Amino acid sequence: MAAELNLEALREEIDKIDEVIVRLLDSRARCAYAIGRLKHELGKPIYEPQREKDVIAHVRQVNEALGGPLDGEVIARFYERIMDEMRRIQRIEAEKNAGS
Amino acid sequence: MVVVMKEGASDPQVEAVIAHLVELGMDVHRSTGASRIVLGVVGGGTVDPRLIELMDGVHEVLRITQPYKLASRTFQKEDTIITIGDLRIGGDEVIVIAGPCSAESEAQVHATAAAVKRAGAKILRGGAFKPRSSPYSFQGMGEQGLQLLREGATAHDLKLVTEVMDASQIEVIGKYADIYQVGARNMQNFTLLRELGRTRKPILLKRGIAATMEEWLLSAEYILSGGNKDVILCERGIRTFETFTRNTLDLSAIPIIKELSHLPIFVDPSHGMGRRDKVAPMARAAVAAGADGLIIEVHNDPDRALSDGAQSMFPAQFDRLMAELRIIAPAIGRSICLEPVARRGWAR
Repeated sequence: MAAELNLEALREEIDKIDEVIVRLLDSRARCAYAIGRLKHELGKPIYEPQREKDVIAHVRQVNEALGGPLDGEVIARFYERIMDEMRRIQRIEAEKNAGS
Repeated sequence: MVVVMKEGASDPQVEAVIAHLVELGMDVHRSTGASRIVLGVVGGGTVDPRLIELMDGVHEVLRITQPYKLASRTFQKEDTIITIGDLRIGGDEVIVIAGPCSAESEAQVHATAAAVKRAGAKILRGGAFKPRSSPYSFQGMGEQGLQLLREGATAHDLKLVTEVMDASQIEVIGKYADIYQVGARNMQNFTLLRELGRTRKPILLKRGIAATMEEWLLSAEYILSGGNKDVILCERGIRTFETFTRNTLDLSAIPIIKELSHLPIFVDPSHGMGRRDKVAPMARAAVAAGADGLIIEVHNDPDRALSDGAQSMFPAQFDRLMAELRIIAPAIGRSICLEPVARRGWAR
């Protein structure tokens, strides 16, 4: 019984964390969107490998300091996914601008 | 498309591939594994996989979508059913096409048409233009042969299929035939296929003797993309190292085509085997494997046939084969030739 209550409580906790994650992803996407527009103005490419490397190095560092269960590789894979999607946002924005 | 990088591919190599794909308007999903990096590529752009494969650090490029669209099962989930008058091709009923290799005389066409009709065939086959004819000159019986075939078909309430060798014959054949047949050697005659795409009669498209399923479906795509939706695929044997038979009849094409495409698939065991004594077993196997129809050479007097005599069945052999097929078809939920069964008062 106690285990079931605990499971329920932890799941509620996860739901709350997810809300925060989605809000943060939303903020990140808005930034990426704004960057996409600026890149377009400046004539810079959407894909900037050095910037992506820097982002991954940065988040790995942040993660390491936390000392939790996630190792650096896991964080890098999460961020590959996130950056894939951010690139897509910028690509769609670039195509809209190219069409107008 | 999936791009698999070589083990130990360098960062600049991976980056160059991603940059190139992004430039082409694709979305790239990078997955870094323990030893390899895999790039998932999706999007509306066009990418030539071979060019990507040539880039430094690329191990292989795997295509996950098919190059044909209209012919694919993804494009259309339901089976295509082709209607010619009261005939439905691609439905539950297995349709049998039978007749001589070529029209030789009025007597021959009528005798053969009568025999195949009696046995339960629904469509008469027969050639009027010999396969080696120049596209611009009529050989064999030519238009006269078409007339005989049409009369024979109509007299015995059969539809007619005949081979079109060249775009210049489309018009004259269209006056007589219900279905155009494209022979194996013409499967990649793209100008002919394009012209047939403009017609509105069904096309029986034979598989080339060295064609892959993909090449075959791409040929169908040529016809479909012209607006003619009625394509019947026909397996007739492929070239292998085996010399005992004329070709190796690839019955595995049936379930594969059924998965890849919504188009009906027929099997021609006569050309595949090249000998009449081997036709019946392969015809039975084709029906059991799920073929939508068969095309079989039958001659009223095979030993005196002017062409393909060795692979033409005697009417009595064909009759017996049809009786066997009537037992096999229901085992897989198909019917075959209901009419003669009813007429003869056999148990249904």
